[in-house]
Amino acid sequence: MSEAHVHFQYDSAAHQEATALDGMWLFLATEVLFFGALFLTWLVSRHFHPQGFAEAARHTELLIGSINTAVLVTSSFVFSCGLGFIERGDARSMIRACFVTALLGLAFITLKGVEWTKDFSDHLVPGPGFAIAGADSGGAQIFFCFYFVATVLHAVHMLVGLGLIAWLVQRARRGAFSAASHAPVEVVGLYWSFVDVVWLVLYPLIYLVGRPG
Amino acid sequence: MSDIALTPQELEASTIRERPENYLNEKLSLASWLLTTDHKRIALLYFASITVFFFIGGAAAALMRFNLLTPDGAIVSPETYNRLFTMHGVVMVWFFLVPAVPVTLGNFMIPLMIGARDLAFPKINLMSWYLFMIGGVISTWALFMGGLDTGWTFYTPLSSAYARGYVVPVAVGIFISGFSSIATGLNFMVTIHRLRAPGMTWYRMPVFLWSLYATSVIYVLATPVLAMTLLLLAFETIFRIGVFDPTLGGDPVLFQHLFWFYSHPAVYIMILPGMGVVSEIIPVFSRRQIFGYKFVVWCSVSIAVISFFVWGHHMFVAGTSLYSAIIFSLLSFLVSIPSAIKVFNWIGTLHKGFIRFDAPMIYALGFVGLFTMGGLTGLFLASLASDVALHDTYFVVAHFHYIMVGGMVSAFFGGLHYWWPKITGRMYPEMWGRVAAAMIFFGFNLTFFPQFILGFLGMPRRYSVYPPEFQVLNVLSSAGATILAVAYLMPLFYLGWSLFWGQRAPANPWGATGLEWQTQSPPRTENFTSTPVVTEAPYNYPPPEAIQREKVESGEHV
Amino acid sequence: MRQVVRPLLPVWLGLLALFAVELGTAFLPLGHAFAGLILLPAAAMVGLVGFGFMRLGRYGAIARCFALAAVFWLLVLLGLGSMDPFTRTEYPVRVTTYP
Repeated sequence: MSEAHVHFQYDSAAHQEATALDGMWLFLATEVLFFGALFLTWLVSRHFHPQGFAEAARHTELLIGSINTAVLVTSSFVFSCGLGFIERGDARSMIRACFVTALLGLAFITLKGVEWTKDFSDHLVPGPGFAIAGADSGGAQIFFCFYFVATVLHAVHMLVGLGLIAWLVQRARRGAFSAASHAPVEVVGLYWSFVDVVWLVLYPLIYLVGRPG
Repeated sequence: MSDIALTPQELEASTIRERPENYLNEKLSLASWLLTTDHKRIALLYFASITVFFFIGGAAAALMRFNLLTPDGAIVSPETYNRLFTMHGVVMVWFFLVPAVPVTLGNFMIPLMIGARDLAFPKINLMSWYLFMIGGVISTWALFMGGLDTGWTFYTPLSSAYARGYVVPVAVGIFISGFSSIATGLNFMVTIHRLRAPGMTWYRMPVFLWSLYATSVIYVLATPVLAMTLLLLAFETIFRIGVFDPTLGGDPVLFQHLFWFYSHPAVYIMILPGMGVVSEIIPVFSRRQIFGYKFVVWCSVSIAVISFFVWGHHMFVAGTSLYSAIIFSLLSFLVSIPSAIKVFNWIGTLHKGFIRFDAPMIYALGFVGLFTMGGLTGLFLASLASDVALHDTYFVVAHFHYIMVGGMVSAFFGGLHYWWPKITGRMYPEMWGRVAAAMIFFGFNLTFFPQFILGFLGMPRRYSVYPPEFQVLNVLSSAGATILAVAYLMPLFYLGWSLFWGQRAPANPWGATGLEWQTQSPPRTENFTSTPVVTEAPYNYPPPEAIQREKVESGEHV
Repeated sequence: MRQVVRPLLPVWLGLLALFAVELGTAFLPLGHAFAGLILLPAAAMVGLVGFGFMRLGRYGAIARCFALAAVFWLLVLLGLGSMDPFTRTEYPVRVTTYP
């Protein structure tokens, strides 16, 4: 089926696809506020514990975080190319782009796993036996609470994105998408780029802002 | 609205024919209900579920009022009392009031009112009902297993470190049902943007749709913040460490900021749809075009926007900075402006109208009075100085019950009676409807008016015992609660009766304008036989002189 | 292939360049007060992804309104939410542990 099934409340497939894209944008708006609550937590906690946050940020794995940033930006770029391919009717190139995107996504999560393991062995998990002692310990522990909640939630979003990409490949192989009809590819692309955007904000909050001085 | 879905002949036929095919009798299997994507059937699924939650929350309230008959607590221990008011708050807020009107009446009416066949995303609509049920069942299960004693507000560090009971399961249930709210709001907003029938411009939409749109804005933009807040709370409760933890130097007041960023706008989730329902009912039963349509609809939107700027007034005594308290106090006063404009518009609509006191109208008029009282007493709480005295007293309890119970529940019942013929195809017994409406108004005032006085005299909320001098007022309040309970049970019986034995409803029993009345009762699955084309503004009632003439000619007593 | 990749390539390279700037800024001796400057290249990257990859400019008014609403309400949350903590008077308390 190359033409998407049109539900009876829509005038046309184009009407249905435009509506789906609006729906995705609105969903992303809700995601902004979801992570926004976390950003406010960072902002307020850092205000109360500037030294603790700076000290904790210096304990993060800058190298892994930076590689991951480059990986994620590149994956968004590749997926955007995939969308460009299907807009020209080239489903095979699109599937290849999906594979590369998924590989980059998996690389991100693997690196994240390595980083978490290191955090554990470096005693950066908040609680008894925390690596940073002294007056800054409390603030640093709050930082790492923020860090774990934020990175785990981001990784969960990545996993959902990987699932969506797998679903796209599955459908694309059955010839579901064409130059005229490929709204799901665009919807997933919006989601994937948005997950990228979240990381682009989290990255400086976690790894960079505490480093100067 | 000229080019309507059915010709007058067809309409006539649909009232005479024994059982025209409609969304209720098209398919009858259980699976056809549980897997339906029809917005009308999903609305009925929601009706059934929120009715159950309403009576669970109501039972908890009844036990509380019973306990407060004597100064030392008549039946339950203070510990149990804490769990009862938590249960009452959690169930009533998240599983009745927040969804109530949008997911039932809104779900049913939005496509009918804009001339569409369904919402934009029917599967997401069904999914949101399942999310709601999963969340609701988890939370109520935890509440029945023993519940928790934090109140519905879950303030840290009480909830994360000291509370006994099921904090995490209840929070998880609310978290899941929050996504049901988000999905519903998203669906409504996109539907209203994209699926309006030809000619249905924004200013030709019924006020109800504008207020549902405004509600949806709050659903989609405030609920995610609650979701994150509950996640952080659950994290802190499970791991005994977290960002609000004061032993680390964390800020428990930050939890309150995040919580009220959702929960204050959520108050407007609970009242805006009610305002929309009342704005539909009043023009119909006073046979008048709504007064100041553009003011009414833009006030809905501005209430939704301003509602995000005022949350700090819940925290005047929480140790927040004086500067922020002053600013939040000023911003809180702002929200009274559009609310007051709406009240004047309803009264303006009534002025010189031909008023009929059918049950929906009695509920709507009750709403206007009770909402006005609730709103005006809110000014005392928005004002920084008087709030410090009144904070956490029964004055607050009475104030928000006037808005949420006196306002929203009245509007819910009003809308339910008003659209009952359309939803079920049956008329409810009018006399019983009027009696129940009047009893709710009377019982409500008897329950909650004494609480204003109690609060003013200094009785704090959330206590199971009180000094003996408060007993008279408490007994009055409990007596009113008994009347209220009976009045709330009555519709369950007579509406249930009417489902089977009620008189069959014509397409438009109230002579109302609006697209939903142009199709048969109950509507067919695809709502309209052909897509309607809208050519006129809403509420296009004949001028008063014409009604006067018509009534004189027909010999009816005016 | 080339037609598809060519318009996206500058976006990707721009992102990597901004990333380099961001990383460089982090090692300047800015001090605590100016540490927030690091967020400027990050904000530019967010904008570049939004308009370059998500093609916000090509969508209609509705999608743009949704995106704008998200940014506006995020600013409300961060602005009004930090107003109290940033101006609060702190009174020292004795730290106790949980029972």
